[in-house]
Amino acid sequence: MSDTEKKTKININNVSFEYVDKKSKYEALKDISLEIKEGEFVCLLGSSGCGKSTLLSLLNGMNKATKGEIRVDGKLVSGPGIDRAVVFQHYSLFPWLTAKGNVLFGIKQNGKNYSKKQRLELADSYLESVGLSYAKDKYPAQLSGGMQQRVAVARALALESDILLFDEPFGAIDPKLRLELQELVSRLSVEKKKTVVFVTHDIDEAILLADRIVVMEPGKIRTIVDVDIPHPRKRDDLVGKKKYEELHKKLITSFYNHVEENIYEEVFL
Amino acid sequence: MKEKGLFKLDRSMYPELAVATLLFITDIALTLAMPYFSTHKAYYTSEAYITILVVTYVLYIANLFATKKKSASDIAVILFAFFALWEVSYKIGWIHNDLLVPSPEGLFHVFLEKPDEIVADIVGSVKLLFWGFVLAILLGTLLGLLAGWVDRVREVLLPISNVVTLIPPLMFSAYFVMVLPSFRSAAIAVIFMAVFWPTFQGMVTRVGQIDRRIIDTAKTMGVGTVGMLFKVIFPYCLPEIIGSISRTLRGAFMCLSGAEMLGMNLGIGYFTEKYKSFADYRCVLAGIVSVGVITTIIDLAVKKLNNTVIKWK
Repeated sequence: MSDTEKKTKININNVSFEYVDKKSKYEALKDISLEIKEGEFVCLLGSSGCGKSTLLSLLNGMNKATKGEIRVDGKLVSGPGIDRAVVFQHYSLFPWLTAKGNVLFGIKQNGKNYSKKQRLELADSYLESVGLSYAKDKYPAQLSGGMQQRVAVARALALESDILLFDEPFGAIDPKLRLELQELVSRLSVEKKKTVVFVTHDIDEAILLADRIVVMEPGKIRTIVDVDIPHPRKRDDLVGKKKYEELHKKLITSFYNHVEENIYEEVFL
Repeated sequence: MKEKGLFKLDRSMYPELAVATLLFITDIALTLAMPYFSTHKAYYTSEAYITILVVTYVLYIANLFATKKKSASDIAVILFAFFALWEVSYKIGWIHNDLLVPSPEGLFHVFLEKPDEIVADIVGSVKLLFWGFVLAILLGTLLGLLAGWVDRVREVLLPISNVVTLIPPLMFSAYFVMVLPSFRSAAIAVIFMAVFWPTFQGMVTRVGQIDRRIIDTAKTMGVGTVGMLFKVIFPYCLPEIIGSISRTLRGAFMCLSGAEMLGMNLGIGYFTEKYKSFADYRCVLAGIVSVGVITTIIDLAVKKLNNTVIKWK
């Protein structure tokens, strides 16, 4: 199937968002439009404060757009919902539940009436898919950050939604584990045919994962870059390839141009 | 350090163990030998006192082997030395007034003289405590959960509770005794007042301080209001709820004993108050010791509950 035949999964139409304080207003997003196809992996790339996490919070329904609308499968997004599973940077596992308990919580929330036996089997299989079968009876406090984030991914998968939203999920994880997790997410999203929106400030991460990279500057989309490298991608295979280097250079240029502008503004205003 | 088995003790523990044991034997020898030196008329047999000594020693040994800490021996040494000093100063006549300060034999003998009365009073107290406490904890937690989550409920109930908690619960007891149909219900009401409001306020605070990220995560997972209260917030707060139980229990017992002393006809507080009027200070002391023992047992039970329920911390 070519891209043009694919259905639109998420439709962001002229969306603006203002943070309203007691004294001041701050427009975090200005008139943003973006269309995301079914099964597509989109990275929102930008430096901190560019509004990428705000855009994700509109997608997951925790914030409501001040202007414009977001539609998923044609339906208006009016709040959080189980059609969009979220993985945060803070893993936020439920501390009173074991790894398996956390995944089971997700399964119980997904609205499908599984029998108890099915739920237990599913929980095991989700934990296995993130490579954590051996730690299923551990509590979050007994797990490392990387392991906790794996459980969080398994819990998000357990919601069995078509859409996965990631909010800088691996920002707090050390580089070696981060690579493992990136490859895990890349593999799982293809395997399970998920539509993914992934917020990051890491260019390499974006190239490794995305079909399309949306580069953001404060409040707006600066540019959109297609990543035309077949999945599954491996970091070691990518580095040194011409296509990769070109992409990297392109992204760095667009990324740092606006960082320079920012510095310029900070110095001269 | 090498891991030792349950019944093995490090050599460095031996000196303290020896001192504690020596003092324990001294205590027993003193009570068996000293009757003949006593300058007082009142004489009580030693069996109750010796039983207490032996139980204390057994508990000490059990604690020493369980914790493998020298502080266990230190406590035992202090306790047995205190008993020895008490015994000696009583028997050689340093303590003149044996009405006010009885011998250790005399104190513990009370438990042999009035076992039924003491047991009945303790059971009475604990029953009252139990009902008042369970009712208050359940309602306080439930209402606190609701008020913590729903702004409007909180804005109504919190100002009310801020006023009521400032009134010492014991002050209600004089009135409750008159208004309510029985002493029992009055005592339960007093305990309820002592436990309900702090529990309620603690719960409201806890819900307010809950990690927003946990709530956000639950919201993105489509958890509704009821699920949020009972499947997310309640388990999240459970360790602190149980942790606060032993604190509120202490307050509750204080109020109960106070209430019993003010106008009840049952309970260990009433027991103590009654024998105070008879100027039987042996019994008064025995009542005080009983309260110490019960509260300790309840405290240990709560800790045990905490360790069995809260596995994730």
